[in-house]
Amino acid sequence: MQSEQPGNQEASLPSQTDAELFLALRNGQAAALGVIYDRHAGLVYGLALQTLGNPQEAEDLTQDIFLTLARGSSYDPRRGSLRTFLAILTRSRSIDRIRSRSSKQKLADRCNPDLQQEVSSNTPLDHATQYEQSQEVQEALAQLSDSQQQILKMAYYDGLSQSEIATQLNIPLGTVKARARRGLLKLRQTLTSFTR
Amino acid sequence: MPSDQLELLIAGYVLGDLTPEEAAEFEQLLAKYPAIAEDVAQMQTSLERAYAPPDVPPPPHLRSAILNQVHLAEPLLDTSSTNSLPSPPAVFTARQQRFPWRRVFDLAAASIILALGFYNYRLQQALQTAQPSQPDAILTYSLQPIQAGSEASARVVVDPNTLEATLMVENLPPLPPNQVYVMWTVLEPNAPFTTDDKDAILTEVFRVDEQGNFTETLPVPVVYRVEGVVTNVAVTIEDAAAPQLHVGAPVVIAQPL
Repeated sequence: MQSEQPGNQEASLPSQTDAELFLALRNGQAAALGVIYDRHAGLVYGLALQTLGNPQEAEDLTQDIFLTLARGSSYDPRRGSLRTFLAILTRSRSIDRIRSRSSKQKLADRCNPDLQQEVSSNTPLDHATQYEQSQEVQEALAQLSDSQQQILKMAYYDGLSQSEIATQLNIPLGTVKARARRGLLKLRQTLTSFTR
Repeated sequence: MPSDQLELLIAGYVLGDLTPEEAAEFEQLLAKYPAIAEDVAQMQTSLERAYAPPDVPPPPHLRSAILNQVHLAEPLLDTSSTNSLPSPPAVFTARQQRFPWRRVFDLAAASIILALGFYNYRLQQALQTAQPSQPDAILTYSLQPIQAGSEASARVVVDPNTLEATLMVENLPPLPPNQVYVMWTVLEPNAPFTTDDKDAILTEVFRVDEQGNFTETLPVPVVYRVEGVVTNVAVTIEDAAAPQLHVGAPVVIAQPL
C-alpha cells in the first residue's frame, strides 16, 4: 500500500502517493485516475458487490465512485486516507441505492397489488449490514469496548460522519473521535500481535 | 512526541478525521519520519480486515469505460501545469484564469437560460389559464424550505405524458441511517384516488449525498394527468423502516408554478 501524504517530489505517476495522485487529478492529469483506480478499484468493487449483491449494479456504482472522485469530491488529502474516503463513499452510496430500490418496489407493489411478490425477510439492506469476519478478527474486536466497536462500525461500515454518530448516540463529538481512534489503535495492536 | 499520541494521529488519519491543526502536525511528522507511512499502511489494513471484504477485481472493461469518460471531459480541465501540484483551491483558480471568456459566456448563457425559464413559466401559466383542461403541459414544482434560514430547496419537473419526473434536491442535511427523505404528492381533499390520511401519495424515498444533493428521474402517479388534483408536493423526514407512515412535517414544500 502506498503512503497517502502529499509530497513535492516530481515522480512518474505510478510511484506517487495517493494524495499526490489526487492533487494531480485535480490539476487536470486525467491519467492519475488510472493509477488511483488500479490501487483501489478492488476495494470499491468488492464493497459494492458485497453490499448490492449484483455485479451489474456493483459495476455501475464503481464507475459512479471514480467519476465522482474525478469530477470533484469533498476529499481532503491532508486530513485522511483516500482509501477510507472511497470505502465510506461506496458504503454510503450502496445503502442509498438499496433504499431507493426498496422504496420503488414498495411503490410498485402499492400500484400493482396483484403483482406483489413475496419478499424474503432477508432484504438486501439486511444483507448489507451483515459481514463475515474471521475468528482472529472477531477475537480482536472483542478486545474493544462495545462503544468503540459500535462507533468504528458506524463510521467505516455504515458510512456515517462523526457528527451523525454523535447525534445518534447522544454523546459529544470529541468522545466519538477519541473512541474511534482508541478502538482502531487497539484493533491494530491486537491483530499485529496475532501475526507475530 | 509520545508514541501513543503519534499512534492516535495515525489512527485519525486512517479514519479520515484529523482536524486542520492535526493534519498540519501529521504532515510535518511524516516529512521528518517517512517510516510513519508503514504504520499508516498497517493501521489501514487492520481497519479493512475488520470491516471490509477482500478486494474483488472488477471486470477488465470497466477501467477503460471510466477513463474514457474522464478523458472526454478533459478539454474542460487545465492540463498545462502537470509538473506542479497546487492545493485544490489553487487548481480551480488556475482554470478560471485560463478561460476568462468562458466564464463570461457561462454567465451570459445562465442569464439567457433564466430569462427563457421565466418566459417559459409565464407562457406555461398563460397556457394553463387559456386551456384549463390541457393535460400535456410540463408541471414544475419549486419546493422551498419551511424553516427560516434554511438553504434547502428542491425542484420537481413532471411530464404528465410519460408520468416521469425529475427530482432535484439541494442542501438538505444528510440523515442518520434510520431516517429517509420522502417526496409526497399531495391531492385536494376527497380526490378520487387512494391516498393516506393526509391526502398524500408516497412518490419517492431518497437520501442525499454528503453535499446534501440528490437528483433522480422517477415514475409518478397518474394523478399528475388530472388537472387541478395535485395541490402541492412536499418532502418530509420519515423513519427508514416505515416511510409510508407519513408522520414527519414538511421540510420543503411547494405549490405548482
